Amino acid sequence: MEPIVRLENVTKNYRGVPAVKNVSFDLRKGEIHALLGENGAGKSTLTKIIAGVVDATSGKMFHKGQEIAYASPHAALEAGIAMVFQETSLVPSMTVAQNLYLGTEKFLNRLRGTYISAQQFLQSLNFPVDPNAMVATLGAAKRQMVEIARAVHHNAEIIIFDEPTATLTPEEKRHFFALIRRLKASGVSIVFISHALEEALAIADRITILRDGELVITDDTSAFDRDKIVAAMVGRTLSGQIYRQRDEGRLRKAGKKVLSVQDISMSNVVRNNSFSIFEGQITGVFGLIGSGRTETFKIVSGIYKRDFLRGGAIELDDRPVRYLVPSEAVADGIVYVTEDRKSEGIFETMGIAENLFGGLLAAGREKAWVINQQEMRQLSAEWTKTLNIKAINDNARVVELSGGNQQKVVIGKGLVQQPRIVIFDEPTRGVDVGAIAEIHQIINRLADEGLAVVVISSYLPEIMNLSDRILVCRQGRIVEEFSPAEATEEKIMYAAVH
Amino acid sequence: MILDPILDMFRGKAMTIPPLDGAFRPNTRLDEAPAFAELSEPDNLLADGDRLLASSGNAVYSLAAGAEPKVVETFPSPITALALSPSGELTVALESGKLLISGKEASLPADISCITALAYAEDGTLWLANGSAEHAPSQWAADLMKKGASGSLWKRDATGGEFRKVAGALAFPYGLHPLGGDVLVSESWRHQLIRFEGTTGSRSTVLTHLPGYPARLSPAGDGGAWLALFAPRNRLIEFVLQETHYRQDMIDQVPPAYWIAPALASNRSFLEPLQCGGIRTMGIHKPWSPSRSYGLVVRLDAKMQPQFSLHSRANGTRHGICSVAEKDGRLFVASKGGDCVLDAGGF
Repeated sequence: MEPIVRLENVTKNYRGVPAVKNVSFDLRKGEIHALLGENGAGKSTLTKIIAGVVDATSGKMFHKGQEIAYASPHAALEAGIAMVFQETSLVPSMTVAQNLYLGTEKFLNRLRGTYISAQQFLQSLNFPVDPNAMVATLGAAKRQMVEIARAVHHNAEIIIFDEPTATLTPEEKRHFFALIRRLKASGVSIVFISHALEEALAIADRITILRDGELVITDDTSAFDRDKIVAAMVGRTLSGQIYRQRDEGRLRKAGKKVLSVQDISMSNVVRNNSFSIFEGQITGVFGLIGSGRTETFKIVSGIYKRDFLRGGAIELDDRPVRYLVPSEAVADGIVYVTEDRKSEGIFETMGIAENLFGGLLAAGREKAWVINQQEMRQLSAEWTKTLNIKAINDNARVVELSGGNQQKVVIGKGLVQQPRIVIFDEPTRGVDVGAIAEIHQIINRLADEGLAVVVISSYLPEIMNLSDRILVCRQGRIVEEFSPAEATEEKIMYAAVH
Repeated sequence: MILDPILDMFRGKAMTIPPLDGAFRPNTRLDEAPAFAELSEPDNLLADGDRLLASSGNAVYSLAAGAEPKVVETFPSPITALALSPSGELTVALESGKLLISGKEASLPADISCITALAYAEDGTLWLANGSAEHAPSQWAADLMKKGASGSLWKRDATGGEFRKVAGALAFPYGLHPLGGDVLVSESWRHQLIRFEGTTGSRSTVLTHLPGYPARLSPAGDGGAWLALFAPRNRLIEFVLQETHYRQDMIDQVPPAYWIAPALASNRSFLEPLQCGGIRTMGIHKPWSPSRSYGLVVRLDAKMQPQFSLHSRANGTRHGICSVAEKDGRLFVASKGGDCVLDAGGF
């Protein structure tokens, strides 16, 4: 079969450093092609070349047999190639419906009609998103849904999904996979970048694996299993190390109770939520999107405010606290590592050093009026080494780092504040398996050092592997606690859903 | 924040119930424990040499593994407390307000009419908890709903004589645990354990903010203690306790069995109040649903701090634990709501 898109010996250099080296890739009509690799392996760059976001330094691209190089994403979209980015490219100040129709508006638009058709379209995709909602008010998962809907809406014949399921719950993923299969049945070709290997094995027809910008293997999905994929991605077998069930003997004992949250409420999102956090332990928090887990911990860390009237109580070391601003929580040793690193976690156009130093400034630990550059570079060198942050050079901007390394910067920014309680919200979202293992090591090390650690995650194997106790959140409150030794995915999911 | 104390006056008092985690982490150990004896509403477990005694209604029973409970003694009114003196005298308190020591009625001050717990110290001092000055022991729910705080603590020296009041204004003292010359008291309506100094009566709070209503205390093997909590705290009940007029109307017009109040057992009648509609979802009673009744026993260490706990959750049946006893290293649990005595094993 003639491939609909074919790349021949494509190379892309950034400042002389190759991100993609001599890669040949083809996409057949009506196939789902999974593109796998560690962060920094070149997956995003390769797909960005196809979608006209970046130009290839050398090599050729053929679309329907014609050699072509799209000058812009708009040109690629006109030719039927759409890309759904990992970090959404929606306009936050516009509504969901306006974002859906952005670029395809008529001269005169009937607003009511736009909203009605947007509603119908979102419903046909099984996406529970209000078309009247402002995008800025949506959570990460719903933004991703809007992004996916926009690509589907443009009737593209090639859709590239970059980590589409990272923010989706298991139920939403099922809907999404059904949608992908429907698109495939209608002849749409799909490139699917994911770090969840099971997803690739479950849905893809073919799999291509990249490592360090080079193509390692392309083959039918039936030729792969999990270990083979991981070995091809990182050159060693990791899956057993990353996700294995904890037995009772390996669980850390609870230390002193540092945080007691009692019946906190915030509108109808967090409802009489009560739990405690202990030193020297990792408390895993699982819940579906909308279960109030992120909001609960944002209240704890002073980002959101609990209800003014009868909003419950939070006690830190048996002392009642009510933070007006996050810096008060930081001063008390509470650090929240955000799930949305792009908009909340990093200054992406600044360097690693500036970002890490920003953490110190936020904690009020740096009192000097003039920033000492040497001190900043020293801090950066220290934490870059501790967290194994990989960058092209010392002056690299954070936006130029891979997802995993960006995440390490976000974590480092929190850790320079010398916290007692660290709250990780989706710490490995959009992070490759190699970096996942490193981030898990960091989290474990913090708990071993006696810190109280909270890990919020939608990924059950991660929760079961990392946690010393598992809290399940449903409809704004913690409904159940499990020991990882007794917990099963079914039990946790049952508590989260029913 | 510095203004919080002022703002709190406008915010209203937050109703907070401590979470069931840490030492109180839920499990199903009470539901999994084998029944040692079937007995209607068992209460007041007592280890007497190689016998295990329990009260049920008007009678004291002797319990043994694999045998039917045997009646040891019967009384004219229901038994509310049991104790055994160091010299082996069985001391029994009755619903009628009487106290019998080895079958002989002891003289009591007029203020004592609701004996909820008895305990002998090692030197033979008898401690007595008078739950309420206004209600009988069986009317405990009315005392809670009227926010009673008329309980008192009494003491009689080992040499005999009259009972002497050690402390008053207690919110339903329900459990006693002598600690040398002092005594530990569980104060149910205030969800706390208080230590009273034996001679002066000065008090110090040992454990506060319990997630349920504490009942009786019982000595544990290593100098610690077992604490039974007979019902859980529940947001709906806490809310009702803040609504004076509603509570008064409820007391006046609704039969006590259907009050929105803690219970020793629930789900026996469809007329019982539901808790926020959260009892059943898709026909299944969820263990984490809010509940009027619960089974909870807590192990306290020598410093009277919680170590671990045994539970019968909302969907369980071994509820309403008012008394426990450790005998030969094994824990026996009287489930008043579950009509059985459990052998919870060794710890």
